[in-house]
Amino acid sequence: MSAHDQDHQDNSTHFGYQTVDKNEKESKVASVFHSVAAQYDVMNDLMSFGIHRLWKRFTIDASGIRPGNKVLDLAGGTGDLTAKFSQLVGKDGQVVLADINSSMLNVGRDKLRDRGLVQNIDYVQANAQHLPFEDNTFDVITIAFGLRNVTDKDEALRSMYRVLKPGGRLLVLEFSKPEQELLTKAYDFYSFNILPKMGELVAKDGDSYQYLAESIRMHPNQETLKEMMETAGFEQTTFKNLTGGIVALHKGYKF
Amino acid sequence: MTNTTAMYQQFICAVLETVINKALALSLNGSKGLQSINQKCLVVYLSELGFPLSLMICEDKVLVTSLNEHPDCVINTSIKTLLALKQDMQITELIKQDKLDISGDLKVAQQFAQFFEKLDIDWQTELAKHIGDIPTFKLTQLGKKLSRKLNFAAKQIEADSTEWLVHEKRLVVSNSEVSSFNLQVSDLDVRTEALTQKLTRITQLINNAKDICE
Ligand SMILES: C[S@@+](CC[C@H](N)C(=O)[O-])C[C@H]1O[C@@H](n2cnc3c(N)ncnc32)[C@H](O)[C@@H]1O
Repeated sequence: MSAHDQDHQDNSTHFGYQTVDKNEKESKVASVFHSVAAQYDVMNDLMSFGIHRLWKRFTIDASGIRPGNKVLDLAGGTGDLTAKFSQLVGKDGQVVLADINSSMLNVGRDKLRDRGLVQNIDYVQANAQHLPFEDNTFDVITIAFGLRNVTDKDEALRSMYRVLKPGGRLLVLEFSKPEQELLTKAYDFYSFNILPKMGELVAKDGDSYQYLAESIRMHPNQETLKEMMETAGFEQTTFKNLTGGIVALHKGYKF
Repeated sequence: MTNTTAMYQQFICAVLETVINKALALSLNGSKGLQSINQKCLVVYLSELGFPLSLMICEDKVLVTSLNEHPDCVINTSIKTLLALKQDMQITELIKQDKLDISGDLKVAQQFAQFFEKLDIDWQTELAKHIGDIPTFKLTQLGKKLSRKLNFAAKQIEADSTEWLVHEKRLVVSNSEVSSFNLQVSDLDVRTEALTQKLTRITQLINNAKDICE
């Protein structure tokens, strides 16, 4: 039984490898991101050897963004995608950086303001499951490395579908299942042995990075996530594996 | 597109973006001239790359992506042609030869070109900021010496390769061969002229003989 199936069976869900009450997951995830917020960007570069920047650039290219578009960077955290989108949509466009976690949002807001990015960005503290926006609002929605932290992913996908304009697209960038067995083994070793140690050493927070590794393993694989998007109403749903499937970019349209 | 290609593509865009913006920050002209093309998008397809390079101006920055949704101007060409373009600007000739294809707003392409030409960087001052005056002076001297040597070497290589093409491969003709060929042509020309005169005279003789017989 997949993690996704189990989410539907009772009122329990996964927090990494632990089974917890659905109500409990949100606060546990919140404490992880409150704890890593300040060091989040440094750790991201360190853990992925900077490759996360290329994954994000690929997401931007796949978004087909144009000047004047309205974008929702959901679970946007420290705002890497927002920064690029803000420049690409220009003064006639708008980017909403939404995240459930105030610490991540604050780090993001400070970073973007320091870079002089102010004119077209709004910051909203929101839960992906209950987006506080009108129906048919956005041309593009992205959720990068955020969906696996959401308690009810199906509800979140439905909520994203609702606020997307007809013709709009959703891009989900998330860790996924490597295509090669050998890569899976090397990746597992890295995630469970090296990553938490790095977290302990640099961010003084090994537990949060242990959760990160576990949550990646519990996240639905490429095909399952594609099905989940289709169930939520998305059409022409496709995915593209990046770095051997360590990460996948799913894309779906609302028509 | 394989996933390695996708990452390689993103890597190239990221490096280009960093280099261009670094150069822009160091340029003595600053980001002057960028306002007129703010939010304009130039897409360049280079045959060697196999993916579009999209340059978009966002205030005082240049963003390099592979987004090719709504470009203001599109250029199809190759790196080789772009280098030639910079040297002698024979755009129409290149278009005629199908080496360059431009569609959309040509003015945008021109403005981008002007912007890149105007980048003016005072490398010595920049270097001095990081490593100090004396090392910069020494490095500049060394750079000049190296550049002279490289120029000399390049000329030598050029001369050697010409020699090789002339003598070994016999693909290129030497100056003396061209002169000797020219002389031969002149000689042939003189002889052809003499032959023509002879023929005219013979024709006249035949015509005269015909008249006498009649
Ligand atoms: C790993 S970070 C990703 C940040 C950013 N998108 C990036 O790629 O760098 C995950 C983010 O998801 C946010 N998040 C977790 N659960 C969420 C939810 N239910 N709704 C909105 N954001 C959520 C976290 O607060 C955190 O900022």
